[in-house]
Amino acid sequence: MTARLLKSIYEHLHSLGEAIFFLREILYLTVRGRVRWQEVWAQVYEQGVGSIIIVMLTSLATGTVLGLQGLITLQRFGAKEFIARLVALSLVRELGPVFTALIFSGKAGAGITAELGTMSTNDQILATRAMGVDPLEFLVVPRFLACFLALPILVIISEFLGIAGGYMIAVTQAHTTGEFYIHETLQAVGYVDFFSGFIKVFFFAVIIGWICCYQGFFTRGGATGVGRFTTKAVAYSYIAVIVSNAVLTKIILTFWG
Amino acid sequence: MIKVEGLYKTLGDQPVLENINLDVNQGEIVAVLGLSGAGKTVLLKHLIGLVQPDKGRVIVNGVDFTSLSEEEMLKVRCEMGYLFQEGALYDFMDVYDNVAFPLKEHTGLKAAEISARVREVLKLVDLEGVEAKMPSELSGGMKKRVGLARAIVLGAKVLLCDEPTSGLDPIRSRDISDLIRHVSRQIGSATVLTSHDVGNSFRIANRLLIINDCRIAAEGTARQLKESKEPFVQEFLQAATS
Repeated sequence: MTARLLKSIYEHLHSLGEAIFFLREILYLTVRGRVRWQEVWAQVYEQGVGSIIIVMLTSLATGTVLGLQGLITLQRFGAKEFIARLVALSLVRELGPVFTALIFSGKAGAGITAELGTMSTNDQILATRAMGVDPLEFLVVPRFLACFLALPILVIISEFLGIAGGYMIAVTQAHTTGEFYIHETLQAVGYVDFFSGFIKVFFFAVIIGWICCYQGFFTRGGATGVGRFTTKAVAYSYIAVIVSNAVLTKIILTFWG
Repeated sequence: MIKVEGLYKTLGDQPVLENINLDVNQGEIVAVLGLSGAGKTVLLKHLIGLVQPDKGRVIVNGVDFTSLSEEEMLKVRCEMGYLFQEGALYDFMDVYDNVAFPLKEHTGLKAAEISARVREVLKLVDLEGVEAKMPSELSGGMKKRVGLARAIVLGAKVLLCDEPTSGLDPIRSRDISDLIRHVSRQIGSATVLTSHDVGNSFRIANRLLIINDCRIAAEGTARQLKESKEPFVQEFLQAATS
């Protein structure tokens, strides 16, 4: 029993070490300028455009629900005119970055793992090395960098649409004017509010790109393996995003209020 | 061209190869036979540096692989071609881009020159007119031929083929075997292939070796193997021909 536990701990630590080494290699190649920009833009298109509809729909729905729930609470205190501030600050500081990262991880992240996983089980990654090409440079770095470029754009789109969802509720249910809602939103969201949320997006992008590329690159076990590693990649990304969000929020609030 | 000296390899707790010695000269075809899981593919992967030996040396074109870093290995591999069992074609590229890939990566050729070379090797493997097809639209035999075209497009001095006839019907097996012999002669490469296909291996290989219990059980020409008194070799050849 103890031996099995120790073996399991050893295997997990070994995997963690391997994953850290994997990230170090990606960053090393990026810093050395071994980046295939054509591949990167193709991946930005694939991941970004591929995720945009789902991000737009969920953001609009989130903003709407936030407006509806916020309105009920604010009305109790006779403060329904604060609805714009509630929606904007909730979205910009927390919900926009976190929700979008989770959706991105489930859509684009899963796609990355499944694609690299299939390539791994079909010997395409090995074939890349056999042809004298570094598979990290050719296959992984573009996908990793695309996460870093696509996610922030998606977050901005998400925040705009979330605010638009709140706008619809404010205008139709709270009977405030559109001008008032926009004015209140612009008044409420300062640089600190925006960047305290937005800065986290880059951490989330690294986490999602790292976990999903790593799981895909080391997928084993044929079609079953691709499914198992893809599920694992999404689950790990979700956990990592949520836990790192808690840590980052504490750090940001400590230094930035 | 290829020299393997005292190669040992263990995967996990399982010994796979023990004291393997091999020499392959330019223009020669050597077939490696053996049971499934005997270590044939592992041996082939050593020859292109995808697996490092626990002990022993692999020397290809005078370069000792055991002393090279992965980055140095990538450069050495440009002079080698490897045909994977299922072809291992990129499924997001069409046939043309798959075959052109090594040329785009390792040569400064212009688009027109690349196009001419791709068409030349596709003609060599008897696959003209399929440039625009995706790998998913190809049969198993066609995938192997495209894989072979990609392996030789840089004019490989060393050609390694992993079970080139597995999963093919007898006629396609014969054709792909003949193709490997034809291509090897054309480019003058040192060729090593692994196979279960005793008949075709006997037909095209200059020399064969049989691996059993992690070691080379027998080595020689087809005639020498047929005359071997080694019980495993007798059993293996009888089972293959029965």
